[in-house]
This record gives sequence, structure tokens and C-alpha cells, in this order.
Amino acid sequence: MSQRGGYLLRKVGWALVTLAVVITLNFLLFRILPGDPATAGVRDPRLNQAAIEDLRARFGLDKPVILNLEGGNPFDTQFTAYLAALARGDLGTSFAYRDRDVSELLGEALVNTLWLILPAEFFAIVFGVALGLFAAWRRGRTADVASVTFSLFMWALPIFFLGIILLIAGVTWFDLPVAGRLTIGAEYASLADLAWDVGRHLLLPTLTLGLALLGEYMLIMRSSVLEIFGEDYILTARAKGLSTYRIIRHHALRNAMLPMVTLIALTLGFTVAGAIQVEAVFSWPGLGSLTVNAVSDRDYPVLQGAFLLLAVSVIVANLAAEVVYGWLDPRVVED
Amino acid sequence: MSVIEATAQISTATEPRLRWRSFLSHRSGLIGASMLIVAILAAVFAPWIAPYDPYAPVVGLTPDDIFQAPSPQHLLGTDDGGKDVLSSLIYGARVSLLVGFTAAAIAILIGALIGLVAGYQRGWFGSLLMRITDIFLVIPDLALMIVLVAILGPSLRTIIIVIGILGWTGTARLVRAQTLSVRERKYVMRAKAVGAGDMHVLRKHILPAVLPLMLANMVLVVSLAILDESSLAFLGLGDPTVISWGQMLNFAFDRGAISAGAWWALLSPGFAIVWVVLGTTLLGTALEDAVNPRLKRHHLESPGSDVARVGTVAPPPPVAAGLEEPILRVRDLAIEFDSDGGPLRAVDGVSFDLRRGETLGLVGESGCGKTTTVLGIMRLLPPGGRIVEGSVWFDGDDLVGLDGPTLRSFRWTRLSLVFQGAMNALNPVRSVGDQISEAIRLHAPSTSKQQAARRAGELLDRVGIPARRAREYPHTYSGGMRQRAMIALALACDPDVIVADEPTTALDVMIQAQILELLGGIARDFGMGIILVTHDLGVVAQVCDRVVVMYGGVVAEENDAATLYREPQHPYTQQLLQSFPDVAHPDRPLRGIPGSPPRLGAMPPGCRFAPRCPHAFDRCNAERPPEYEAAGGRASCFLLDPTEARP
Repeated sequence: MSQRGGYLLRKVGWALVTLAVVITLNFLLFRILPGDPATAGVRDPRLNQAAIEDLRARFGLDKPVILNLEGGNPFDTQFTAYLAALARGDLGTSFAYRDRDVSELLGEALVNTLWLILPAEFFAIVFGVALGLFAAWRRGRTADVASVTFSLFMWALPIFFLGIILLIAGVTWFDLPVAGRLTIGAEYASLADLAWDVGRHLLLPTLTLGLALLGEYMLIMRSSVLEIFGEDYILTARAKGLSTYRIIRHHALRNAMLPMVTLIALTLGFTVAGAIQVEAVFSWPGLGSLTVNAVSDRDYPVLQGAFLLLAVSVIVANLAAEVVYGWLDPRVVED
Repeated sequence: MSVIEATAQISTATEPRLRWRSFLSHRSGLIGASMLIVAILAAVFAPWIAPYDPYAPVVGLTPDDIFQAPSPQHLLGTDDGGKDVLSSLIYGARVSLLVGFTAAAIAILIGALIGLVAGYQRGWFGSLLMRITDIFLVIPDLALMIVLVAILGPSLRTIIIVIGILGWTGTARLVRAQTLSVRERKYVMRAKAVGAGDMHVLRKHILPAVLPLMLANMVLVVSLAILDESSLAFLGLGDPTVISWGQMLNFAFDRGAISAGAWWALLSPGFAIVWVVLGTTLLGTALEDAVNPRLKRHHLESPGSDVARVGTVAPPPPVAAGLEEPILRVRDLAIEFDSDGGPLRAVDGVSFDLRRGETLGLVGESGCGKTTTVLGIMRLLPPGGRIVEGSVWFDGDDLVGLDGPTLRSFRWTRLSLVFQGAMNALNPVRSVGDQISEAIRLHAPSTSKQQAARRAGELLDRVGIPARRAREYPHTYSGGMRQRAMIALALACDPDVIVADEPTTALDVMIQAQILELLGGIARDFGMGIILVTHDLGVVAQVCDRVVVMYGGVVAEENDAATLYREPQHPYTQQLLQSFPDVAHPDRPLRGIPGSPPRLGAMPPGCRFAPRCPHAFDRCNAERPPEYEAAGGRASCFLLDPTEARP
């Protein structure tokens, strides 16, 4: 369908524009640092002269920042050098972990973060949708009031604090590990042992993030369903003789899921914020921990790369949600 | 307007403004406000309340002072630096609230400005602003805050500014949506048409409508800012020179509170954050609700509670021998709606019959109970409405007494519905053909998918829609086509009776005529009974055999259509006829009926039409008129009482 193709093209176009803004922002942010990136690093005793030279060359610090107005190639600037490096996938070298490429560090951390986020999102979406639907159907009854109270409380709990509470509970009563991804120095007899150890480490962080997202999704789903249940076509469905179950299944669920898809995409920033906090509490070696450590180490190349990767992930996930939306809702061609 | 809005006596289309009475009735809002006030008092009076000064340098610290359990000297114990947790907690309120309110003020200011401009100025500049908002909405804000604070250095001022300039997107979207809706209102258009300047319109019309929403939004932005500050502080990006709750958690957590078992040093600041955020959230949602009350009802609430009739009712006596028994006999139907001031009676003792193949018009001004009556007959009353008296005999069964499953099998196979406007009566995300097949296969489960789809195509063809369009979605249909599709849907299971509620409202005159012709043709061809609900007497004259005129929830008059137009008996019918153009007498002056129909809470004690009736006399205001036979029909008016001297 060409109209739907147009919709997709428009969405991809906007994702690219957003991407361009984020890349530019990422470049400019690290130019407002006091001094230039290389001398800011010089104060760090871990940097040797070779590394500084490398930095100067890579950033092209002798060149103008954005536009070369002093003759010669007007695009021979720091910004184009940055873009060229980015295009090669070169995000520089970490200050703190010497000799390690930032892109390599980010790759490892991203995998760990996905291990955390994906199960948490799955848990939160399944239970958030179910609970929101149930609460809307039982509007004003005990079940509804209880779920709304629970969600409000989850919303008011800072995610890192929820993590600390679960950590105290897990360590005290369930003998779960405090931090990290694996037990340090452990030997594994089999793959199952390894999986079991990772699972035990993953349980609390995932549960923390999952619960925090659950409250959010439940409230969104509830208000979405309430609106749909008041629509005239639900009355038509009742008049046709459909049972409540069939009305919900065939006439309400899909319609209510539509705003959910968009809103889940819009709360992806919230998911990232949650992941950063959860990783900080549980020392989970993902993008969040990498970011926080880069801040305390003044490891700007890593900080810059991590922010870019986080922003790009959200843009991509957002685009994916738009595509799903376009596939679910026949009306998208109109806007 | 949805069916719920039209019938359940709830209005949502009012201007957003803060309804104090409504806010004060929200218990959760008051609780939230008190929680916030406690925190503000603690912040303001910290030096007087706090037992110790947390900013004073600690002298002579011994290992025993660190992480002391709660005791009479230290009600909440001590922290990793040997300081009193309670005192830090009280002083911490200052930082959290300062950051929360100032950052929120910055965010609201930027958001409101961008939202106002983007909503009011709808040229390229406005849409550019909106695109920028969309882009900022996608950037993960905590990550950007971390980067900015790390680069600029974690001073309190930097933190406030960073949280403020990254928190505006939500407000901008809200304000833009509200501005857009206000600038399309008639009074704003009118003000602009008579030459009011932009600043005048903004100040006098837009701002008053936007401000209440912004107030509610402000409270929620404050809670977000407090959460952001605590997250930054916990991640080690708090201002090291001040004490904040996030900072307390950061220090305690990093310096071994968990291994030391010092839960008080962690739980106290954590729950302080929860206290303030929960307080602001409760307050904010209550304010939002008071500004913009939501519809509190939906169609799937507590099924089965729409009948509150006591006991069973005997069927009406059969009609005279030789006459056909009516398919539908409504007897003394009374319907009430819940309201804050107790139940309101929307329909009070309505009776009429419908025969097969007959088209019955149910007419009257809006708000006289027509739609409620037919929804009651179909047992589809919106929540809060219930049948309290009377019966609906359908081919020998009393619909009012049927249980859920029996009623469901009755629906659509015997009694189907075409309703108001039909703009939203079809599900937007399922194809039209699919929605017709669904009804067919529900009531005849042995039908194959292909058979049902073929039949759906035939039905669409019958109402003048090409069968191939069955695969399309409702939004691709025009208004008239949607209405015809709805009629095709109503025909899906060969019902005995179709109820059509205002099927031609919101359609233009040509399409109206087509729809009416279609309905008339269906009644003839299929021998179905049709109840046509309308306020348009022209429509009735065109297609109806009999007419029931309703006023204030009761039947004013009933007669066959020709007689009713020729010899209206009830003064209301007479006036209603005079207020519509008559093709036979185009030079007759049109006259509206002065006044308006009675509101549900304020029904006149006697005849409901008495206050507007030119012929009313004392008895009309005191007693309810019974039905009198007149001109071969019936009418409820004392003028028809043979014992009354005609005035």
C-alpha cells in the first residue's frame, strides 16, 4: 500500500532528523567543556603524551569548530572530523580503561543492559496491560482502587530507592547476591550452573525495573481502556449480543493497545532513566553503570559515546513503535 | 456526542476551570495537600524543629557514633558521618522543595510559552516549535541531565537550571492542545472577527482557559523535578555543599549502610522522597480531575444491574380478535438515572405497541426521553440508568425479565439498532465487512467464514455500497455510507424489529432522503417493524405509519401519522407542528415553542407541558392528566376531558 509506505517514509525521515539533532547536540555538548577536550584530559595523570597527541589529531583541535571561514575547504572542521570518525564507528579511546575503544566498551555494556531491560519490559507490559484492563473493567471497585493506589505508590518511589528496598529484602531473606552479574571467582561445572548464577544476579534488578514500569503502564492502560469502554462502538457490540469477554477481546483490547504502543514508546526515556538507576544500585555492568562511572572518572569519550548510544537506542525503539502502530491502526494514512 | 453523554445527564463539554467544590470533595487531593504542607513547614522551620544542626562540623567522631541505631538521642539513628539522620532529613526538605519548585517554574514557563505560540501561531513557526518539542521528547532526559551536570559541575543552581530546561516538553504539548481547542471556539473566532488583537485574545480568552490546566500540570512537574534531583544526587551528581535526600541515600548506600544493617539511614530519606512525591501526585491528579472532570461511566460496568423492578408483571390482554398481535408492546415503562441528588426519572410510564411491517415515529425535542426509552427497551441503558417499572413484551417474552444469556441470544436476531450519527458506532480498527460477519457468525455459528463474508457483501450491496468495500475500514466511508453500513449491519440477522435512533442527524438533506427511503423500503420488503426516533417531524411525515409524541419523559400523544398531522390534539403536538416547515402550506409562518423542556430534577408537578402551554389552567398545574381517546388516538391533556368546560 503506497499510503502506508508514505507513512513509514515520513516516520523514518523524522527519526533521521532527530538523529541528526542528537548527533549535533552530542558534539556541541562536549565543546562547552572548560578548555578543549584534550587539555581537560591532561589534568588526568593517567594520560600520557601519546594519548594526548592522539586526541588532538582525532578531534582536529587545530581546526575551526563548525565552519571554516578562513579560506580553503569550508568543511575542514572539527565537526566534520567528528562526523567522519562517527561514520567509521570510531568513538575514541577511553581515558579510564586505557587502550580500550569506547565502541567496544559500549557494545559489551549494551548487551548487559538489554539483558536487564528486555525481561523487565516484557514483565511490565504483560502485567501492566492485564492489571490496567482489569482495573478499568472493575472501575471504582476494590480491585480498581487497590491497583491505582499500588501504581501511584510505585510512581512516587524513586527507582533507585525501590532497588535498595528490594536489595535489603533479597539479601536478608532470600540470600540473593548483592551486586554484579556473576559471582566473582566462581567456577561453573555446567552451562546450567552459569545460567542459574546469572539468573540469581538478574532477578532483583529486573524485578526493580519491571515493577517501576508496571505502575506506569498500568495507569496508561487503565485510562486508555476506560475511554474505549465509553465509545459508541462498544454499545454496538453489546447490542449485537456479544458477551463482555468477547467485547473486550475483539472490540476493546486492540483499540486500547493503540495508545499503549505510542505511550510505551514515549516512556522509553523513563525506561533508560530506570535502567541507569537500577544498574547503579546493583552494580550491573551495563550502559548506566558505564555512564555513572564515566562521570566520576571524568572519562569524557565514554560519557559522550554512552549518551549517543542511549539516545540512538531510544530513537530506534521509538521508530519501531511507530511502525507497529502503523501496522495496528488502519487510520494512520490519514494524518 | 456519545450515547453516554447524550443520555446519562453528564456534561463534559464545559470550559476547563478549577471547580473548588469538586476539588474539596476529593479526599485524596486533600490528603496530598496536607502531606505537602507538612514538608513545606518542615523546610521553613528546619532550624527550630531539627534537634541538631547537620551543617555544623562534627568533632571528636568515634567509630561508635557511625550508623547508630535509633535511640531517644537520635530518633532516626545516625548516618555514615555520625550525624543525626532526623536533622538531615528536616534540612533536606529545603533542598528538595527548592529544586522542585524553582525547576518546575522554569519548565512551566518555557513549556507554556512554546505551547502557546505553537498552538496560536499555526504557521511554519508554530509547527517548527512542535517538531522541536517532539525531538526533545525522544531524548532520554536523565542521561542528558547527567551529561550536562557532569560537564557544568554539580552546583545547586546548575542542577535547578538543567532540570528546568529539560522538563518543559509535557507542559508544551498540553498547553498547545488546549490553546488549539480554545482558539477554534466560537467566542474567540467572534472576538477576532470584530478585530481584537492577538494580545487581547491571548490575555482575555486563551490564558483563562489554559491557566487552570497549567496549575494542575505544575504540581505534577514539581514531583518530577524532585524525583530528578534525588536521582542525580543518588548517582553522585548532587551539590556536595548542601544536604538533600538523594545525597543522604548516596552517602549511606556507598558507605556500607547495607552491610552495616543500617536500614534507618537508607529508609528515612527514601520515604521522605516518597512522602513529598506522593503528596504532590495526589494533589496534582485531584486538581486535574477538578479542572477537567472525566466521564465516570462506561458500557461494560456491572452487567445486569439495569433493572430494578420489583416482582413480575402480567402480560397485557390480547388485542381484539381478528387483529394481528403486535410484535412489541411497551407497558408503563419507567427509567431512572443516578445523580448526586438521588435518582432522577427520565422516562415515566411510557406505553405503545408496534406491529410487524409498521414504522413508528418516536418524536419530541431533545431531552424528552426518546433515546432513553429505546435504550431501555433494548436493555442497553448506560450505567447509572435502570428500569424501575413496567415491561417490554416482545412476541410474548418480557425483555425486562430476561437474564443475560437469553437476552444476548435475543439481540440482533430479533431486535437490532441503528444509532445516532453512526460516526463512532462502528469499530475503527476492524473492517466493515468483518463487523457484519461477526454478528452473523455469532448468532449462526455453523456459518462458514466465506458464507458470512458473502452475506455481508450482499447486505452492503442491498444498502447501496459496493460489496468489494466490505474489506475497507469505517474511516474510508463517508458519513452517509457509514450510516448505510450501519443499516446493513442491523439487517445482518434478519431481526423482527429495528430501532433507528436519529439515523439522519448530521447528514445533509440529500443523504437524509436516501437513508429514509432505504429504511422505508426495508420495512416493506422484509416486513420488519421499525421504531424511528427523531426530533424532525419532516422525517416522520415521510416514512412513519404511526407517531408517538413524547414530552418530559411521558407520552403526550399517539395517533396514526396522517391524523396526527391533520388533527393534532395535544397543544404540544400543535406547537411542534407549527415549528416545522410544511410543504403543503409554505406561506404559513413558522413559530418556535417558547421556553425549553423541563430538566430532570425539576419536573412540573402537574402536566409537564403546563409551564409552556398557552391553554394551561389551574388543574394542569396540580394534576397529571390521564390519557383521553381523541381523533382515533390518545392524548394526555385536560382539554380533552369531557367534564371540563372548554375554554
